[in-house]
Amino acid sequence: MPVGYSIYVERPSLIHQRIDPRTKLAALGAVFVLALAFNHPAVLGGILVLVLLAAQLAQLSWRSLLPAMVGSLWFLVLSLLIWPFYVKGGPSLFILFGSTISVNGVLFGLAMGLRVALMVLAAGVWMMTTSPQKLTVGLLRLGLPYKAGVAMTAAIRFVPLLNAERITITEAQQARALDLKRENPFNRAVKSIAIIGPLFVRSIDVAQSLALALEARGFAARDGRTSIVQIGMTTTDRIILIALAAACLLAIGLRILGIGLITRAYL
Amino acid sequence: MAEPVQLQRMEPAIDVSEVRFRYSASGPEVLHDVSLRVEQGEYVALIGQNGGGKTTLAKHFNGLLKPVAGVVRTMGVDTRGPSVAELARTVGYVYQNPDHQIFAQKVRTEVAFGPHNLKLPPEEAARRVDEALELVGLREYADEFAFSLGRGLRQKLAVASVLAMSPPVLVVDEPTTGLDLQGSRNILDLLGRWNADGRTIIVITHDLALVAERVPRTVVISGGRIIADGATSTVLSEADLLGKAFLRPPQVTRVAQRLQKFGIASDVMTVAQLRAQLRLALGE
Repeated sequence: MPVGYSIYVERPSLIHQRIDPRTKLAALGAVFVLALAFNHPAVLGGILVLVLLAAQLAQLSWRSLLPAMVGSLWFLVLSLLIWPFYVKGGPSLFILFGSTISVNGVLFGLAMGLRVALMVLAAGVWMMTTSPQKLTVGLLRLGLPYKAGVAMTAAIRFVPLLNAERITITEAQQARALDLKRENPFNRAVKSIAIIGPLFVRSIDVAQSLALALEARGFAARDGRTSIVQIGMTTTDRIILIALAAACLLAIGLRILGIGLITRAYL
Repeated sequence: MAEPVQLQRMEPAIDVSEVRFRYSASGPEVLHDVSLRVEQGEYVALIGQNGGGKTTLAKHFNGLLKPVAGVVRTMGVDTRGPSVAELARTVGYVYQNPDHQIFAQKVRTEVAFGPHNLKLPPEEAARRVDEALELVGLREYADEFAFSLGRGLRQKLAVASVLAMSPPVLVVDEPTTGLDLQGSRNILDLLGRWNADGRTIIVITHDLALVAERVPRTVVISGGRIIADGATSTVLSEADLLGKAFLRPPQVTRVAQRLQKFGIASDVMTVAQLRAQLRLALGE
C-alpha cells in the first residue's frame, strides 16, 4: 500500500488538544506581525527560539521541523548575499566588487533570512499542530461560508490521496519501461504526460465520486450543520489571546520608537 | 578430444528465496521468509485475502520493491541491480486499475508507449502493437479515443499495452476487478493463449471459480507467508487450509465434497467434471 502524506501530526500535547484552532490562527498572525515589526537579527532570533520552544511543547520532533528549516536556510544564504550591497552603515568590513560591505548590511541580511525562517517555521508548526477538521470548524465559527469550509477540508484531504495515486501511476508506468531519470530535460517533460495524464483523470474521477457521495448523504440539504468535532475557547485561550494582542501592540510601539531595528529605511 | 556436453539449464522465470520485506525500517514485516519458484512457461494464480501480501510479493518480481533480506531473481537476474524500467523488458506488470496507466488519446498510441520506451525500431513496434491489439480483441478500436472505452475494454487495453512489450514473464494484478463474468473469462482466456506460447504468467486474483476453471497452479498467501502451493485441483479442494486464508473452495468443489460418500471425487474443479463424476456414480 502506498503511504499517504499529511502535514498534521497527531500528538497528545497541550497545543494540539487544548488550545482552540482560532487561538492558534491568531498566534500565527501575531508571529507574522512580530516578524515584520523588527529587523534586528537578535530580536528575530529570539522570537525564532520562542517558536522552536512552542514546537517542543507540542512534542514535535526536530526531524519533522527539518524540511522547513532547510528550506529557510536557502533564503538565509541568499539574503546574506544580496542585502549587504544595499544596506550601509556601521563599521566597514571589506570592499567587494567596488562596494563597501558594512556590519549593518550583514546584520540586515541575517535578519531578513531569519524573518523568512521565522514565518516558514511558524506556519509549519501551525499546520503540524492544527488538525484540518478543527481548523475548518474554527473558520466556520469565524463566519466562513459552510460550503467553502467543506471545500477547504476536501482540498486538504486530497493531498495525501492524490499523492498515493501519483505513486501508483508512477509505478505502473515504470513497469512499462518509463525511465524519467535517464531522459534529457526536454524528453522528461514530454514523457511526464504519462504520469500527469492519468493523475488528472483520477483526480476528476475522485472529485466526482466525492461530490456524488456528499450529495447522497444529504450535503447542503439545510444551511449549517452540527459537527462531531467540538471546539471552544477556554481561559487559557483568552490569556494567550490577550498576551498575543499585547505583544503585537508592544512590537508596533517599539517599531515607531525605532527600537529593535537595524535600519528604518527598509521594512 | 570430445567436448563435455554443456547441459542447457533453464533458469526459473521467478526465483524468490527466503525474502523478508518491510515498507519502512520501523514498520512491521509484511513478508516473512517467503520462497517461491516459478518455472518458465508456467501459469500460476496468487490468491489470498486483502492485505495478505500478494501484491507486495508480486511487486518484487519486477523490482518495484526490493527485498530487505533474501534474493529475488527474474530469469536469473537479481532484481536489486537493474532499474524497474530495465526489468520491464523481462517482467510485464499489469496494474489493477487501468485508469492508473491510460494517458494517450488513441488506443494505438497507448499500446505503443511501452515498445517505444524499449527503443524498438518503429516497424517492429507497430507490428507488436497490432499483434497485441489483435490478441486482446481491440483491433477495431485501434483509432478510438482511449478514455471513451468501457471498463472491460480499458482493462484489455491495459493488458495489451504490456503484452506489446512482449515480456517473457507477465504479472497481472486482479485483472477481473469490476468486470462481469464474461469480461473476466475473456481476460483469463487471453492470458491462457499468451501462456500457450510458452510465456510465464502470474495472475493475482480473488476469483477462485475462474482459477479453478483455467489456471493449473495455485499459490496461497496469508499473513505474509505462503501457506499452500501446488496443483490448483489439490490446493483448492483443501477447505481447512483455504479457511486459514479466509477463502473457501469453489462452490462446485464444495458440492462435490458433500457428495463424497456417493463416490464423487473431492477435487472436482468444474461443473463439467462434476457432471462426469455424477454420470459415473449413477452408472450411466
